[in-house]
Amino acid sequence: MLSKQRLLNLAAALLILGGFAWLCVAVFTSLKDGDWNWSRPWEYRELLLRGWRTTILLSLGALAGSTLVGLLLLFGQRCGLPVVKWTCRLFLEFVRETPLLVQLLVGYFVIFAPLFSRTFESWGWNDKLVIGVILLSLFEGAYLGEILRGGVDSIPRAQWDSARAVGFTPFQIQRYVIFPQALRRVLPALAGQFVSLIKDSSLLSVIGVQEVAYQVKAYTSQTYGLEGYVPLVLGYLALTAPIAFISSRLERRFHHET
Amino acid sequence: MKLSVTSLTKHYGAHVALQDLSIEVPTARVLCLIGPSGGGKSTFLRILGGLETPSSGAVSLLGEALPESADGLLTHRRRNGFLFQQFNLFPHLSALRNLTLPLEKVHGQNPTEALSTARAALDRFGLIDHADKLPSQLSGGQQQRVGIARAIAAGPRILFLDEPTSALDPEMTAEVLELIQELAAEGQNIILSTHEMGFARAVADHVAFLAAGHIEESGPPSQVFGNPTSPICQRFLSRVMRY
Repeated sequence: MLSKQRLLNLAAALLILGGFAWLCVAVFTSLKDGDWNWSRPWEYRELLLRGWRTTILLSLGALAGSTLVGLLLLFGQRCGLPVVKWTCRLFLEFVRETPLLVQLLVGYFVIFAPLFSRTFESWGWNDKLVIGVILLSLFEGAYLGEILRGGVDSIPRAQWDSARAVGFTPFQIQRYVIFPQALRRVLPALAGQFVSLIKDSSLLSVIGVQEVAYQVKAYTSQTYGLEGYVPLVLGYLALTAPIAFISSRLERRFHHET
Repeated sequence: MKLSVTSLTKHYGAHVALQDLSIEVPTARVLCLIGPSGGGKSTFLRILGGLETPSSGAVSLLGEALPESADGLLTHRRRNGFLFQQFNLFPHLSALRNLTLPLEKVHGQNPTEALSTARAALDRFGLIDHADKLPSQLSGGQQQRVGIARAIAAGPRILFLDEPTSALDPEMTAEVLELIQELAAEGQNIILSTHEMGFARAVADHVAFLAAGHIEESGPPSQVFGNPTSPICQRFLSRVMRY
């Protein structure tokens, strides 16, 4: 039985490998002269690196921003005032039920750019970058808020009772009992969300933020070379793969703990 | 320990948990609440422990009226200990940290003090070897004993125990009951609810029988178990003592 399974596994491996090889051959034979020239990325390395650095900056900014937005939404939804609670809920539903691309276009061209572009420029800031970070933070923060809320809601009632019984203040209950446990539970989802954030930052090219996807598009339109997409893919993988790796390590560690 | 309750009522929406409950306990070191499940034992204990507030009625404990403000209740909880049926410990912290954290953050001890207080409390109950384990690495009985160690570490005036052995097997029940008896013998004020009738009879100075949200019978154990006057209490005791 086992050897039969191994044989099938081998057959599947060959099939998959064969399919992949065929795809590669088909792609490379369809490439024309000039499509694939590896001396050009080196010439344009400054441009590509600058884009990649912008992507990192953008991601870090949106990471901080979305954490802030997520926490605000978490506390807003647990707030005693119904108006605050329902405003947060409405914002969440709006963000989650419209495409990010549409939010970026509307958010940039209709709301933020007319209102704040001049101000940001007068401060010497790159207005597209700043507005891009804000819009991405709002979008990713909405998802983050839901993840955090799910984590807090999943902590059993007995933990709240015990924390009150030992005499913790409401803030201490959150700080020492609920939040550490909730964070452990949502860590995988949180890491997934940060990976999404990095990938979603590529959409900011539509409002003219000069991140790596924007620069590669510029590169391709100047050189007519397709090889630029390879560093693009690798550039994102270099950022997302370590997060996924660290997250799976942490997840295993916390899993043993609780 | 003196307890005086008059016309205590607690309802959650339409559900009435305690109905016009009155009891007078002039002096007792160990007060046991017995009675059928859903009779109001837990709600009564949670009110006495400052975890819930009464809908109406007056409660006086140790000669003081139970506080009503949030701050007053917080102080009340800090001066007393409370243990639930299960899941008392914080699962992300070691047994030792479960004790030192409240000592530091609630009782203002510095880390060195807290550590020695906590180690002394664990050592007293033979739990020092488990100090660095997480709750999930302890048996149910050990978890409850660590929970009791945490509850008494800061020297509470009263220790409240809400069915402390209901989630345990007979052997673990015995180890936890032994510990509670030890505390009682050392003079700790204890109010507990339990289904362990033998234990209540042996350890309590005063027993109260709760059913349908009020006290049906109250007095020394010899009277409540030996010569109950309430028909509901008689029926309950004859059924639970049969086997």
